[in-house]
Amino acid sequence: MASSGCWKCLLRPSVPVSRPIIANASASFSTTTTLNANPPKKKTGAVKIVKPHQRAGSSLKIKKKAFVKPAGRPPMPGERKALRKRIVLSNTNALEVPMTDLSKDNLLDETLVGKVAGLPDVVVDQLRAVEAFKITQGWGLFRRPAILVREDSVKLARMLEAATEKKEACRVLLDGQRGAGKSMLAVHAMASAFLKGWVVINIPEAQELTTATTDYSPVPNTTPQLYSQDTYVANLLSQIGKANNAVLSTLTLSMEHKDAPIPLQSNISLARLVELGARDPDIAWPLFNIFWREITAAGRPPVMMAMDGLSYFMQYSEYRNPDFDLIHAHDLALVKHLMDHLSGSTKLPNGGAILGVMSRSHAPKSLAADLAITQTEERQLGRPRTKADPFTKYDERSLKVLGNVPVLRLQGLSRAEARGLMEYWASSGVMRTVVDEKTVAEKWTLAGNGIVGEIERGALKMRI
Amino acid sequence: MSPRLNLFRASRSLAIRSKSSVSPYQPRIFQTTARRGFADEKATGPNQDVLGHVSEEAADMGDITGETKPDLGQGTPVQEILERDEKGKENAPEVIKKEIQESTEAQALSTEAHALSIEHLVALRQMENIAAGKQASHEVTHGHKFGVPDLPIPSMSNLHYRYDTVVDQVTNLIMEHGKLSKAQRDMSFILNHLRTAPPPQVNPARPLLPGTPPPSHLPLNPVLYLTAAIDSVAPLLRIRSMKGAAGGGTALQLPAPLGLRQRRRTAIKWILDSASKKRSRGSGRGQFAQRVAEEIVSVVEGRSAVWDRRQLIHKTGTSARANLNVMAAKMRRR
Repeated sequence: MASSGCWKCLLRPSVPVSRPIIANASASFSTTTTLNANPPKKKTGAVKIVKPHQRAGSSLKIKKKAFVKPAGRPPMPGERKALRKRIVLSNTNALEVPMTDLSKDNLLDETLVGKVAGLPDVVVDQLRAVEAFKITQGWGLFRRPAILVREDSVKLARMLEAATEKKEACRVLLDGQRGAGKSMLAVHAMASAFLKGWVVINIPEAQELTTATTDYSPVPNTTPQLYSQDTYVANLLSQIGKANNAVLSTLTLSMEHKDAPIPLQSNISLARLVELGARDPDIAWPLFNIFWREITAAGRPPVMMAMDGLSYFMQYSEYRNPDFDLIHAHDLALVKHLMDHLSGSTKLPNGGAILGVMSRSHAPKSLAADLAITQTEERQLGRPRTKADPFTKYDERSLKVLGNVPVLRLQGLSRAEARGLMEYWASSGVMRTVVDEKTVAEKWTLAGNGIVGEIERGALKMRI
Repeated sequence: MSPRLNLFRASRSLAIRSKSSVSPYQPRIFQTTARRGFADEKATGPNQDVLGHVSEEAADMGDITGETKPDLGQGTPVQEILERDEKGKENAPEVIKKEIQESTEAQALSTEAHALSIEHLVALRQMENIAAGKQASHEVTHGHKFGVPDLPIPSMSNLHYRYDTVVDQVTNLIMEHGKLSKAQRDMSFILNHLRTAPPPQVNPARPLLPGTPPPSHLPLNPVLYLTAAIDSVAPLLRIRSMKGAAGGGTALQLPAPLGLRQRRRTAIKWILDSASKKRSRGSGRGQFAQRVAEEIVSVVEGRSAVWDRRQLIHKTGTSARANLNVMAAKMRRR
C-alpha cells in the first residue's frame, strides 16, 4: 500500500494519519448486567401470517407418506439366511412312486437308463452332510429324493469302476450348457461313491474359497507363499467326518506324525482325528494334512473329491498378500491341494476320483478353462487343435492344470430319458398333463433338444 | 386426367386355367352357382345336352306328342347290341373290338374324374354329415389339413393363450414396471408353494365356493387352489358413489354389479395389498411371492382379513340397494 508521505525522503506526511478506531469502546470488565431487548417471539402454528405478495390457497404441497411399520415379530438374527439356504427334500403332497433304489450292484446297470432311481435314506443323509443338494434343484417337489439315470451317469460309473480296478484317480471335468445336469451328475457320482464305501470330500461352491468371504492366513515355511483358510477347512473337516463316519470310524491312525500341532494318541480313529480338526480352526489345516497322509496310506478306501463352479479356481482370488497384490487361487493351500490332484501331478495311490464341475450360469468367464476344454475335446475326438489366440492373455497356471484333464460334456437328454423323467413327474402328481409322444416331443424340442433344466422349467416350474 | 380405356386389359382376367386333379382346398360353404368353370371341363349346362341319335330323338318326340314311336330295336347300332351280348363280343370283328375297348377306357376315366370333382366330394361329405346326425348345410369339416380350432382356444394351443385365465390375470397384477418375466417367476413360486404346503384346513364359517373339491385335493392342482381362493373372496358388487346425490353435498352410495373378471381383479388386489403389508421372514428375491402364497393359503383357511373386506362391501351393498329406487324415481321425474 502506498503511503501518503514520500518514502524516499522520509518526510513527515502532509496529511495526518487518522487515529486508529478503538474496537471496544466499553470497559473490558463491568459488573452491570447488560440490558438487551428480548429475542423476537416465535411464530405459532395457529396464526398464519399471509404476506401481501403471497396468494392464499392453491399451492402444491406434497405430503410424505408415513412409513408403515410392518406388523409381526422381526426375524431373529440368522433366521433370514437360514430360510434362504434351507433345503427341502420332501413334499408330502406328492404321490409315492414305486421305483428301484440306487445300490452298489445296479450302478453299471444299463437297463436303468431312462428311469428314475431313488436315493437310499443313508445316502441322502450323507449327501446332505457334504452339501451336495442345492436350493435351485427341484428336490422339494417330490415325495423323496430320486435321480434320473442317464447314459452319461452309467458312463461315469464305468469310469469310476475302471479307476478302482487300476488303483488310479479318475479325473473328469464335467461341462455342458446351463441346465444340462452337471451338478446333478456330480450328485449321482457322489451317491455312487458313498454306496461303494469311498471317502467323499465335496466343495459345494468354489466361490466360497476365492471371493474373500472366509478368513485366510499364511502357511509358514512355504515358497511360494501359500495361504490356508482355517475356518473353511475346519468346517470341511466336520462335513467329512459327518458324511463318512461309517468308513472313518473303522480306520485308525497307521503312522506317527511328528509335525502334529497337538499330541495325538496313536490308536485314535480317523473320525476322531477329523473331529479334532473340526473343533479348532487354528489346527485345522495341519490336521487336514495329517488326515490326507492317513487316507492315502496303503490299504485305505478310495477317495472322491468333487468341486462345483470350477472357473472360480481358474483365476486370481480376491484375497491380497502383504504387498496388496491379488493372490492367485492356486496359492490358496486347499485349492492347490485340489488342483494338484485334478491335474494329475499328485496321485491317489488307492484310486478314487476328482470331479471338476463347471458352472455356466453363475461363474466368471475363464478363457483359460474354455481353451483347455476345447483343446481337450478336440484331442478326444481326434480333430485338429484350436490354437491359443496370441493376443489374449490366458491364465497360464490354469492352462497347465486343465491341460490334460479328460472332459465329459453333457448334452441334452435323449427322448427316451426325457420320457422316463416326465413319466416320473406325472406319476408323482406334479405334472398334470398326459405324457405321450406328442407332449414329450414338444417339451424336448422347446427345451433346446432336451436340456434337462429347461424341460423342468417348461413342465414343472413356469407352466403348471 | 381420366385413364384411357384399354381394351386389351379386359381380356387379362379371362385366364385359361387347366383343372387340377385334386382340389387344393375345400371351401367351407360351397356355392355351386357362383363357381367359375374350368376351361377344359365337360360342362353339362341346360343347353349342352347331347341329343340321342335320330331314332331316339323321334322316340322322344313321340313320347311328347303321343304319336306312334319308331321301333328303336330296328335302327340300333351293332355296338349297343354287343354291349349286352358277351358271346357276340368275342366273335365281333377286330375293329369293333378295339372300339369297344377304347370306349370303356374313356368311360372309366370320366367316372374317375367325376369322383374327384368338388361337387362330388362335397356331396359325399354332406351325406356323411347327415349320417352323423347333423344338417346337410352344416360345415363340412373334412378337407382341413389341421382341423378347425376349438373355441375358446384351449391353453396349450396358442402362444397368446398359453396360461390359465386366472394365472394370467394374477401375473399381470403382480407385474411392476412392465417386468413380466419377474412377475412370471413370482407366479411360479406361488404355485410351487401351494403345491408343497400342507393341505389347507377350511374354516366352516367361511366356506369356499360350492363345487370346490375337498381341500386334500387342492395342493396337487395349484391352479385350482388359486382359483378357488380368489373366486371365494371375490365380491359380487362394488359401491359406486354419486356425488351430492343424497342431498346436502352427501354422496349417494349405489351398489353396482361386477363382471367375473372385475370380481377376480378386486379379490386379487385385496390379496396383494394385504401381502405387501406383511413382513417377510426370509431374505432373497422370492419374498413377495412367498407372502402372497401364504396369504392365499390363509384365504382358503378363512384366516385372512380379505374376508372382512368382502363382507363389508356386501353389507354396504345390501343397505345401499334402497338407493337404487331413489335414483330410479329421480330419473322418472325428469
